[in-house]
Amino acid sequence: MYPSNLRYSKTHEWIRAEEGQWAVGITAYAAEHLGEVTYLELPEPGTEVKAGDEVGAIESVKAASEIYSPAGGTVAEVNEALTDNLERIGASPHDEAWFFKLTGVDEDELAGLMDAAAYEKYLAELDE
Amino acid sequence: MRHTPLYEEHQSQGGKVVNFHGWALPLQFSGIIAEHHHTRTSASLFDCSHMGEFLLKGPKAIRALEGMVFNDMICLGVGRCRYTSLLDVCGGIIDDVIAMKLAEDELLVVTNAVPYNKVSRVMRRVCQAEDLTAATAKIDVQGPKSREVLLRLGLTDIEPLRYFSVCRTKWRGVDIIASRAGYTGELGYELYVPNDSAVPVWRELAACPEVAPAGLGARDTLRLEMGYTLYGQDVDESHTTLEAGMARFINWESDFHAREYLLMQREMGRYKVRTGIRSFDRRAPRHEHLVYHEGRVVGAVTSGTFGPSVGHGIGMAYVPVELSQSGNRFTVGPKDLPVETVSFPFYKHGSVRD
Repeated sequence: MYPSNLRYSKTHEWIRAEEGQWAVGITAYAAEHLGEVTYLELPEPGTEVKAGDEVGAIESVKAASEIYSPAGGTVAEVNEALTDNLERIGASPHDEAWFFKLTGVDEDELAGLMDAAAYEKYLAELDE
Repeated sequence: MRHTPLYEEHQSQGGKVVNFHGWALPLQFSGIIAEHHHTRTSASLFDCSHMGEFLLKGPKAIRALEGMVFNDMICLGVGRCRYTSLLDVCGGIIDDVIAMKLAEDELLVVTNAVPYNKVSRVMRRVCQAEDLTAATAKIDVQGPKSREVLLRLGLTDIEPLRYFSVCRTKWRGVDIIASRAGYTGELGYELYVPNDSAVPVWRELAACPEVAPAGLGARDTLRLEMGYTLYGQDVDESHTTLEAGMARFINWESDFHAREYLLMQREMGRYKVRTGIRSFDRRAPRHEHLVYHEGRVVGAVTSGTFGPSVGHGIGMAYVPVELSQSGNRFTVGPKDLPVETVSFPFYKHGSVRD
């Protein structure tokens, strides 16, 4: 269920190479746990971030959570369309509902993230 | 986990079942926000069979109950319901309950699932109550279209019921206690039915085009928009009923066992009181957020969420009485979310009294 072209963080963000940039979003697991999203705060374009930085916030009727950047870089683009279509986060977490795109990512840094198989194993342990 | 008689119904209708204090209950069906709006505009079904029901018979039992709640039970008119709380001697809330006068010498007390073990002991010991919990299902029909739905199905005895009234009725051979009450702020009824009739009654209601099932998630956003308390989260034994903001319900003339303590607390006037707070955007105060005022911690949030019908964050917090009046500014939580105190309810357009 988790696409193999994404890499995953323990805080349930994913990152994917996309035409020279890196798209970031939250995983289906995170979206499912939050339920219907009622508020989304994304970083400003141009923001310099480090891996693990808190870069935004997401809330649902049930819970509130922080968004962490899975990699360091510069925020090049933000998915503005998402703010008015928050239901897309639950409907298409790994595709349509990307949150922001980074440039200047050091690919070596991504080695610390999980591939799909490792992430699924991690989830299985969490739900035990 | 304990199952209600409607457990299989929830499974077959796609309910996402969760553990609610030991009960397997649906969190949601189509989605919390959709179910919330459906309740405000049409009619929803809620399975509340996890709640407790205790029958008190005779003046001695009813008088015993009156000794530990803050308002009259003996004088309560036949066919009327009353919100009250079982108190310990210091005014702490053992449970908040609805008492329903079924007959001159018969009172049905509806209690919460969370404090059930304590409450059942108190009810049996103090009031010699008969515990109907295990044999009784409770189905809430809530929403502006609930009356027309029930009347169309032939439950005609509910027609004259005013808000907070109750009647005994028989419907298709089933003995039902029907009260006009609820936890949503909308016109609604609560049907107490024997366990073995729960499925047929639920199915009959669910088959109506106006009706959809709703879960605990929508129940929580609906009640929070009305400022109704959730036992175990907003009120419990660690807060007195004065602190819980129930002063307007208290009959100070009544000779109940917590009266002296509560009078003393009222006299002193220095305590924290449950207060409504709202944010100014879609961000919400959350359970266990601390409340800050001028750089000091002054209290904590007990419940909070985004209010789908009001469009902003809402919550309840305990703050000092002197800071509780409407319009006071605070911040809550680790990100200093700005909030303002407001009076309950947050949502003022409900059909509850229509």
